[in-house]
This record gives sequence, structure tokens and C-alpha cells, in this order.
Amino acid sequence: MNFDDETLMAFADGELDEARRAEIAAALEQDPALAQRVARHRALRAQVTEAFGPLLDEPAPDRLVNAARGARKPAAKTRRDGDVVQFPVRGSRARALSWRGREWGAMAASLVLGGFIGWKLLAPSEPMMVLSGSSLVARGALAAALDQQLASTQLESDPVRIGLTFDTRDGHLCRSFELRSAGTAGLGCKVDGEWRIPVTSEAPARSGGVRQAESPPPAVLQVIEARISGEPLDAVAEEKARDADWIGAKR
Amino acid sequence: MEENQGAGRMIHHESMTARPEEIGELIVALLPRLRRFARSLSRNQHDADDLVQVAVERALRHREQFRAGANLASWLFGIMKNAWLDDRRSRARRGEVALPEDSGEHPAVIPGDASTTLWSITEAMNKLPEDQRLAIAFVLVEGMSYKEAAELLEIPIGTLTSRLARGRGALAAALSDQGKGEPA
Repeated sequence: MNFDDETLMAFADGELDEARRAEIAAALEQDPALAQRVARHRALRAQVTEAFGPLLDEPAPDRLVNAARGARKPAAKTRRDGDVVQFPVRGSRARALSWRGREWGAMAASLVLGGFIGWKLLAPSEPMMVLSGSSLVARGALAAALDQQLASTQLESDPVRIGLTFDTRDGHLCRSFELRSAGTAGLGCKVDGEWRIPVTSEAPARSGGVRQAESPPPAVLQVIEARISGEPLDAVAEEKARDADWIGAKR
Repeated sequence: MEENQGAGRMIHHESMTARPEEIGELIVALLPRLRRFARSLSRNQHDADDLVQVAVERALRHREQFRAGANLASWLFGIMKNAWLDDRRSRARRGEVALPEDSGEHPAVIPGDASTTLWSITEAMNKLPEDQRLAIAFVLVEGMSYKEAAELLEIPIGTLTSRLARGRGALAAALSDQGKGEPA
């Protein structure tokens, strides 16, 4: 079957409705060339997201802070370190798709302050995602976190935050993640011994070492909602799944 | 702390009108996103910060037009988009050609390094037509949905999709050319 580039791009971005998404997902299984084109869209998106992500950790210059506060001269009062800032939730769609409170309650833990492991400490010479065949797959610190890290025991200082772990309708296990200092969120699904990355997206608002824990961005949520079977795993099931090397439930 | 509670109030009680100092603190909190977005439209960080400053000052001058409860980030991104287009047009009128000028930022090229990638991508984006560049900035850099981006650009989703696809194609081609060692 033939799909135009715009449709494949929208599929890669998680922008298609469920019927169309399923149709293309089925076609991808049959057609490696088609899968390759989708993977290229995802890889470019990931490349842009990762390149611009670290800019969010840069402190804004005084002249902009003063402009925002309506001051002509440097303000006498400057923000103290460690102040907590609340962010507007981006877009009405983000709210409409917000994940069930129960699942996020544990990890949301109100505001999470500071403490990013700098992007550079993550050895940028070792990529965290690579294009393998027609799929984007996790490597390095990301693959290690997806393999080992449990949402129930992870630390705020871990460079990767693991979100939900869940069974998919086609019997695999997927885990949502966020690369803290890259401003990138995504989903990893264990297929044939590798963590495939079906979607990445810019992670929600953060600012100069202050961030608010919240659910994944809409693009990631859409893919989760399209794939999830039943409820996300709880802490006990997550640990069992790890011990079984993330072999998905046979249905 | 009082400032922060104020910020929270404004977000959650949509009927409240933002006081000037409240909107200012909210904008301060949004500065990293505004700067990143501006960076994707500018050749270097200095131009990007100039753009942010113009947009922030314009927003504060017209703060009564901001509907309390609306999305402040979207409003500011819209203002910045207009400020950027205004600047491009006035440069064009003055006969300044934006294309061949040097960005002045040539990092040592370290393969895989995040700042090198950023430089490559902004160089490539600078070659795109304005409409495609805005589509990429909103969707790929800022991470907006197609619907949000189309609303801010005041175009139908189909038009946004088509600009985004063309922009991505051109961006991928430009990055691939850079990878082959052609002059950027």
C-alpha cells in the first residue's frame, strides 16, 4: 500500500487517529521500506529535540529577566536559588489527555527541584538512540535505564526518569522515559531483545534547574493510549518483569 | 514564596486578572522556552535574545489583551512569531540579506556533541523559507501538536502539515549535505 510522506510524518508524530494509525502500523509490518521512511521522520525529530533540549537548562541573561519584570535597570531583588516556580500546563490537549492521577501520583510527587546530571556527563560521544534497520533503538545510558531502573526506586539524580511500564496489545512491554537534561521524553518497547523507540517528544516545561513532575507530553501519551493493554504495571509487577528480562505477557 | 503562590493562583483561578508583577514572574519562568524557540529562528544566541526581549516587552505593553486563563506560553509564542516576521520584513526592506551572512558561531566540530548538532541544525534551518521554519520551530523544537501550531500560525492543519513535511525534507537534506563535508 502507498502512503504519502505527510501521512507517514503525521504517523511518526503521533498525530493520526486510531483507525489510520492502526492501518499504517499494519502496513509497516509488511513493508520495510515504509518502516524506514517512518524511522527517518522519528530520527530527525529526535535529533532536533535533543539538540535544542539542553538550551532549557541555560539560565536566562539578566536583561531578559529584567525585561520580563518590566524593569529598565537591573532589579534590586533577584530570585533566590531554589525558588519554586509553577508552570502553566501546556495546551488544552495536554490536560485533556492527562494520565490517570493514580498512576502519576507516585512519581509526580509535587515539584522536583534541581539536581540535573549535566548533559555533558552523559558522554555525548555515546549516543542514547541510534537508527538500527528501520527502527530507532535505545543505546547507552538510556538502554541501561530501560533494562535496570525501576520507577519505584529511582532517584531524582538518575539521568533517565522511568515513567509507566505497561503491556501492549501485541504482547510486548513498553516503558515511558524522560532524558532529564535533554528535555526529551519517549517510549521504549522491548522487541527482539532491543528497546525500540516508537516515539519521542519534547518533555514538558522546565526552567533553570526547576521542574515540575508531570505526565508525558501529548505525543507520547497518544502512543501509550494506542498501545496499552489493561493497566500499567505496579511496583511489584514491574520488578517481576525486569527479572524476566522484559519478556511481554503472552496472550 | 509569596510570589510563587501568586503565580499558582493565577493559573488555577482563570477568572482572575493577572497583576503586572504576576505576569512578569510567569514570563520569567517561561524564558528558557522562549529563548529556545527564538534560538531556532535566529542565527545565534545574541539575535535570539534580542528577539525574546522584543517579544517580552511587546507582551507587557499589551498585557491587557491577554485573556486571563488563556495559555500564556501560546500567547507569547504568537507574539514572538509576529516580532520575528516583522524583523525579517524590515531587514528585507533595508536591503539586508539574511542568507549568506555568517552566524559567527563556529564551534569546534565534535561528532555527536550536542552543541555541534545544534549548530548544524540552526545552520540548516536558516536556509528554509520562513513558513517552513516556523512550522519546524513550533512542532519539532517546541513540541506543539499540529493543531496548536496551526492555530498560532493561523493556517489550516493541512497547510501546516504540508509546510512541516517540506521543511523536514529540506532540513534532512541540508543535514545530510553537511555530513558529506560540503560548506554549510
